[in-house]
Amino acid sequence: MKKYIFIFKSEIMTNFQYILNILTHFIGTFILLFIFLNLWQYIYSDPNKLINGYNMNQMIWYVIVTEVLWTSVGARQLSRKISLDVKSGNIAYNLNKPYNYIGYSLSSHLGSISVRLLIYIILGIIVGYLFLGSFPNLNIINIILVLLSGILAITINILFTISIGLLSFIIEDSSPIYWLYSKLILVLGVIFPIEYFPKVVQPILNYSPIYAMSYGPAKLLIDFTYINFSKIFISQIIYLIIAYSLCMLVYKKGVKNLNVNGG
Amino acid sequence: MAIIEVNKLSKTFKVKLKEKGLKGSLKSIIKPKYKEIKAVKNISFQVEKGEIIAFIGPNGAGKSTTIKMLTGILYPDKGNIKVLDIDPRQERKKLAYEIGTVFGQKEQLWTHLTPYDNFKFFGAIYDIPESRVEKKIKEFTELFEIEEFINTPVRNLSLGQRIRCEIIASLIHEPKVLFLDEPTIGLDPVVKENIRTLIKRMNKEYKTTIFLTSHDVGDIEKLCKRVIIINNGTVVLDDSMENLKYHYLNKKIVEAKMKEKVNLDDEEGITILKDKGYNLKIEVDTKKRSIADAIKLLNPDNIVDINISNIPLEDIISNIYKKDRK
Repeated sequence: MKKYIFIFKSEIMTNFQYILNILTHFIGTFILLFIFLNLWQYIYSDPNKLINGYNMNQMIWYVIVTEVLWTSVGARQLSRKISLDVKSGNIAYNLNKPYNYIGYSLSSHLGSISVRLLIYIILGIIVGYLFLGSFPNLNIINIILVLLSGILAITINILFTISIGLLSFIIEDSSPIYWLYSKLILVLGVIFPIEYFPKVVQPILNYSPIYAMSYGPAKLLIDFTYINFSKIFISQIIYLIIAYSLCMLVYKKGVKNLNVNGG
Repeated sequence: MAIIEVNKLSKTFKVKLKEKGLKGSLKSIIKPKYKEIKAVKNISFQVEKGEIIAFIGPNGAGKSTTIKMLTGILYPDKGNIKVLDIDPRQERKKLAYEIGTVFGQKEQLWTHLTPYDNFKFFGAIYDIPESRVEKKIKEFTELFEIEEFINTPVRNLSLGQRIRCEIIASLIHEPKVLFLDEPTIGLDPVVKENIRTLIKRMNKEYKTTIFLTSHDVGDIEKLCKRVIIINNGTVVLDDSMENLKYHYLNKKIVEAKMKEKVNLDDEEGITILKDKGYNLKIEVDTKKRSIADAIKLLNPDNIVDINISNIPLEDIISNIYKKDRK
């Protein structure tokens, strides 16, 4: 475990040099947030009106959380990086190091996004407060549990993204699969809460990774109950195991058939 | 005791074939064709503890594929490998703790971090206690003379400085075997010499077994006592450097500057390499003709200047490559 913490730390050290990049990046996220916030303000002519069980404040905080969770992960770059590593054969140079490649990629990516995540959370809170003039009603334990759920959500997303990148072992270019994955998450998990979808689709979404990766932590922030937390937490642990197993399966299969051109 | 044992090792790659143009691209989707490339064919050799061995061959000979199988990066199709009595296929992670690798064409350092942070990082991934890592860093900083730039981010180092740090990073965990794949590629002659001295010192002081691949004859000549030449996936020569040279030392190059033009033709034991009238370059096979004979043929009174030398190692090696190709 110590080595993975060191990998995480080394990535943080590297990323401290890119604070300006991160802030610039947030401008894009902020524009997107701004559009959504205005859209919801327009839809909610009366802020106390409930639409599918959400008032305007809850809806806006929901979008802020899902946006921060999704954009701070930088899943596109990660999937592209892993896919390139596989295609170029660079992945081979990790094989003779005494660490697990999936653990290495996970801790390295978590390290590389942690500065960005922290900045996005702070900026997200500021944006939310400026728009709504209040914070969600949470005590310190609730906040810690929401943060824990957020970190688990990000970890699951990273693991699924790694497994998509690793699919390049089998299908040469995994970018179409990543495209499909990102659009599904964006439409079904970021923009609207599950309650906005038809009743027939809702149970499917409740058992899908979207519940663990996006809906769960956002729902906890706006409506924290310990029952909600335990349901979301269990779902996250299950999906964490599934995503990790998927990564290992693709990785082990791929490495056996690895072709690296010599020099 | 053999530290590396390779027995009847083979590796075949399957490469997708594509015919020319758009039609070819469409055809390859519907009915893909593959070609098998036998990169390594049934090779066997052993390396003893503390040896510095040159594993050389032309491009595409199978050197890097062999190194990658020895270090557990690639799975062989057939044959057995034991490195320090560990099978890289079965216990890749265990082997990783015992060996070090430097691939001259591949950076393993984190370029945004300083060499010091990188060494700490490598210490951590090899589970070395912090106090030991500090001790090793201090030791290598002196041995490899890197005090000047140990706190400069790797991206700002010159290639020679970076290679020195790459070697240190691969030594932090005190590996028993070090695989160096073209460690001096792209370096200027002075830095090359410097790296060679360090490799030699490391082998002497830590008794590290060194498995080296290089296209640089200087690396091989100055570092290695034994050479394995691989070509087209098979071992074509496995001999001591001394024997290799001795075998070819019966051939001498005679370069002479003449007062008057000499008309010489190839004859038994003598091959004309260059004839520019007053300047001659001939190869003498001393098994068939003595040097004295050759000089007599030139007429000693006619010679203004003469130089007799051995065939360069580079030519010896390329002759072996060519002979094997035929």
